[in-house]
Amino acid sequence: MKRIVLATLVVALFSGAAYAGALKLGSQSPLTGQYAADGNDIANGARTAVEVVKAEGGIKGFDDIILSPQDDACDPRQAVAAANKLVNEKVSAVVGSYCSSSTIPASEVLDEAKILMITPASTNEKVTERGFKYMYRTCGRDDDQSKAAVAFMKDFLKAKNVYVVDDKTSYSQGLADNVEAGATAAGIKVLGHEHVNQGDKDYSAVLTKVKEANPEVFYISLQNSATGALMVIQAKRMGIKAALMGQDAVYHPQLMEIAKADAEGMYLTFGYTDENAPAYKKFLAAYSAKYGKPGAYSAYAYDSAMAYLMAVKAAGSADPDKVRAAMLKLDFDGASKHMKYKENGDSGSNYIIQKVAGDKFINFWNPETGKLY
Amino acid sequence: MTTPESRKGLLGLGLALGLFYLLLWPLLGIKAEGLFFADAFAVWWRVALPVVLCFLVYLLRDKPALLAVRRTGQRLGSSLSGLISALPRPLLAAIGLALALVFPFCTERYAQDVAINVLVYVCLGLGLNVVVGLAGLLDLGYIAFYGVGAYTYALLAVHFHLSFWLCLPIAASLAAVAGCIIGYPTLRMRGDYLAIVTLGFGEIVRIILNNWMSLTNGPNGILSVPPPDIFWPSFESGFSFEHIWLKKLIYLYFIILLLALATIVAVYRINNSRIGRALEAIREDETAAELMGVNTFLLKLLAYAMGAVFGGVAGTFFAARMRFVSPESFTFIESAMVLAMVVLGGMGSIPGVILGALALIALPEVFRGFELYRMLVFGGVMCLMMIFRPRGLWPAKRLGTRSEDRE
Amino acid sequence: MQFFLQQFINGITLGGVYALIALGYTMVYGIIQLINFAHGEFFAAGGYLGVILLTWLAAQGLPPVICIALALVLAMIYCAVLAMCVEKVAYKPLRQSPRLSVLLSALGMSIFLQNGLMLTQGVYDRAYPTAMTSGGFEVGGILVSYMQIFIVAITAILLLGLNALVFRTRIGKAMRATAQDKTMSALVGINASHIISLTFAIGAGLAAAAGIMVGFYYGSINYSMGFVPGIKAFSAAVLGGIGNITGAMLGGFIIGMVEIFAAGYISSEYKDVFAFIILILVLYFMPTGIMGENVDDTRV
Repeated sequence: MKRIVLATLVVALFSGAAYAGALKLGSQSPLTGQYAADGNDIANGARTAVEVVKAEGGIKGFDDIILSPQDDACDPRQAVAAANKLVNEKVSAVVGSYCSSSTIPASEVLDEAKILMITPASTNEKVTERGFKYMYRTCGRDDDQSKAAVAFMKDFLKAKNVYVVDDKTSYSQGLADNVEAGATAAGIKVLGHEHVNQGDKDYSAVLTKVKEANPEVFYISLQNSATGALMVIQAKRMGIKAALMGQDAVYHPQLMEIAKADAEGMYLTFGYTDENAPAYKKFLAAYSAKYGKPGAYSAYAYDSAMAYLMAVKAAGSADPDKVRAAMLKLDFDGASKHMKYKENGDSGSNYIIQKVAGDKFINFWNPETGKLY
Repeated sequence: MTTPESRKGLLGLGLALGLFYLLLWPLLGIKAEGLFFADAFAVWWRVALPVVLCFLVYLLRDKPALLAVRRTGQRLGSSLSGLISALPRPLLAAIGLALALVFPFCTERYAQDVAINVLVYVCLGLGLNVVVGLAGLLDLGYIAFYGVGAYTYALLAVHFHLSFWLCLPIAASLAAVAGCIIGYPTLRMRGDYLAIVTLGFGEIVRIILNNWMSLTNGPNGILSVPPPDIFWPSFESGFSFEHIWLKKLIYLYFIILLLALATIVAVYRINNSRIGRALEAIREDETAAELMGVNTFLLKLLAYAMGAVFGGVAGTFFAARMRFVSPESFTFIESAMVLAMVVLGGMGSIPGVILGALALIALPEVFRGFELYRMLVFGGVMCLMMIFRPRGLWPAKRLGTRSEDRE
Repeated sequence: MQFFLQQFINGITLGGVYALIALGYTMVYGIIQLINFAHGEFFAAGGYLGVILLTWLAAQGLPPVICIALALVLAMIYCAVLAMCVEKVAYKPLRQSPRLSVLLSALGMSIFLQNGLMLTQGVYDRAYPTAMTSGGFEVGGILVSYMQIFIVAITAILLLGLNALVFRTRIGKAMRATAQDKTMSALVGINASHIISLTFAIGAGLAAAAGIMVGFYYGSINYSMGFVPGIKAFSAAVLGGIGNITGAMLGGFIIGMVEIFAAGYISSEYKDVFAFIILILVLYFMPTGIMGENVDDTRV
């Protein structure tokens, strides 16, 4: 009898320990520095997810859900410091980071501590290709994105040549290289591939070169929507007549805010988001009530945090292996896309071509069907 | 309370706060919809209130109640500094070392991580100290040597599987060569011309690292750099050496502690050697030093090379610890940070540089809770520290007196 | 040829911007031998003040020309006052301290101001009302925008004005005297403190003008935009011989040209390398810059 009582007590104690207290999440993204705009969108997206889940009654077994947002300034050293800080704070999952070059070293720290990392924005292929068990990605991958871009140039624009410019970050250059290779393979002539430096504002020298080459498509792969806008303005001023094409980092409402009419008609590759879906509307209502207009990665960050919270709910605990199993079983409509994680942590890409019309992005062309929306 | 002095101070404070509001208001208050005064005021009073309180305390500093507090504080401070100066130097060093050795056993990984960063910067700061503090050459591109060291180890380890310990001297000597290459053309220049040229070289190194795709993999950086390893004697199944990767933070901490100690000893020895004396002579008056028979060119080159060696060593460790290198870690602002450590701590002073590194790396981490305000506070504190301790936190004792000391 | 001329025009415009910023560096350096790291932040603050004032003035229904002129003048005054305050708070107490301490104080101020701008103005880029100044014309296939002419014209006017101020007026004479010898100039009745404040104010005013022009020319500004042009302009000031006003102008145009031509003809990713190599070469053969005098102070 004594033994049974003792056993019950022990079980009660342990389950008590496992179930009491708060569920702690971290987010890490560049809250200061050059990429602070996207970084804050990510933190706000994660905050919104936590607020929504809490408003709906929280998760059974946890008194509270706490989010601890950290700044990594898109700097590998600070990313590792932030990751260590989050390990210390005993978070059970991290949403982040933005730059692939921060996500990769931070994930080494987090993986060692068995903390799930879900990146809403790092599209470099290597992020999920290092065999890490606890690394997930909600956005698409660069290799898929470049395929969509090349298909669009070939099948829709029927372009014979293209000029590529990137700004030398692991993300932007990786993507530009993929586009160059893909275009060459598809029989589109690459007239030139130039690089500009980050922090530059004056692209006149490179754009004069582009104008000389007179391409049919001008592919702009920059790390940031504001620099993308600068390049678009200057390209139009220079009188470049090529079709302008950008990618998901240039995709941000800021593009039209700055470039205004100059951005009109620009094509961008971005994940397909059904803005009429109930999940997106729910996200939009919750997000804009507090943080204003969502940025490019707000919805991805929201979905990343949401996926984790749903997995914890399904698993009934924050134990990393149980949550991992639950994560892989997830299958739901998120705000940004349909969420289903694969074994390596990717959630698939669904890049489509969007077009700037007025001050909005509209869904334009679907590379899978080859049809207009 | 109404002495002319305090009235003048009060007037100045009022003027300063008024100006602050005036400068703040256009940034917050002018909008397309009209002019607003409340937003700027909300920020203003949050700053003004503590400032006024501080000023009041300052004004009341001679009132008996506060005087007592001040006296006790002063007494405590002076007895503490008396105690420190009374203790023999070796004992002090031993206490510091003991604290450093015990540190990882009573802290968590975040603190260990910050401590590792601090120690890396101690190495960097001491290296730069040789160039700036000792030889008086303002170097704004010091981080280039750190980058050379990091990339040397990363490339050698990834492509040729060389061990960390073997790469350490290789990286250090390559950094020294880089130091000579950069030093040679720049040493004809003086003062701030030297500063801008070193800045230029630092940027050139970073841009090359970022663009030489076939060697450095450009902005993608080099992934999966191996951590340091050792052969540890193992007695299972007879005697053999077991090969261990030192991945854990605590091992890394001890490695960098070892490197930092080696750096401290080396810099201490340089400080008190003939070379150190000659470098100091160059700092004080280059022309006079040359007249006294000091080969200024060779010694300045040597100072560059020696500084670079420590940078290279720190870089090697950095690559092994991050297990990832990319050009983003070697920007100008990093050079400025290392320089800030040297100046903040006290130029030419070893304990000063250690304090400086502690302050500049630990402070932003302490302020991490403030999120967005972190760097704002950091910049402000840097300014204030310089205003209140212009010669650094722990200024070096100079040998002899200099002309301006007597002025 | 057409390609060359187009790049030449690009270079002149960029050079003009660098020259305006470089002037502030060189004036401050000339008078108190300080590399004012916070100078780039005056440039950014000027840009922000410009867009804030322009939006407000335009909302009052004023015609564009008056809006621009008023915004330019007011932003310059704002930055001048800001610079004077910064000087009083962060540099003046350190006048007797080692030079590197002041340098560090300047670095701290730069970080402080940059983050202050970020906190008050947000992390997003701010768009400029470019509609006011868009457009241009074409001569023989070379595009020249009105903005480029505007930048070069304003730069020229400000530079001429500055030259007149420094070399033709009593204040200018006092500035030159203070730069040469603070103690002596104080003995003949020049208030060095006022002159130093004035120098900061003028330098920051010019940087503010550059900030507004950059805003108009490129279409947007952000809080960290002072950093890179700051370094380039500093290089330009040194290239021309730091402390020398004409030298700073020359240096600005040279750095701008080298950058554009290196990007246009050789490689855009290595353009900064070429700019710095030119700088190093010039300083190797002329250790005090193109127009500089011998700075006989090796102490840091």
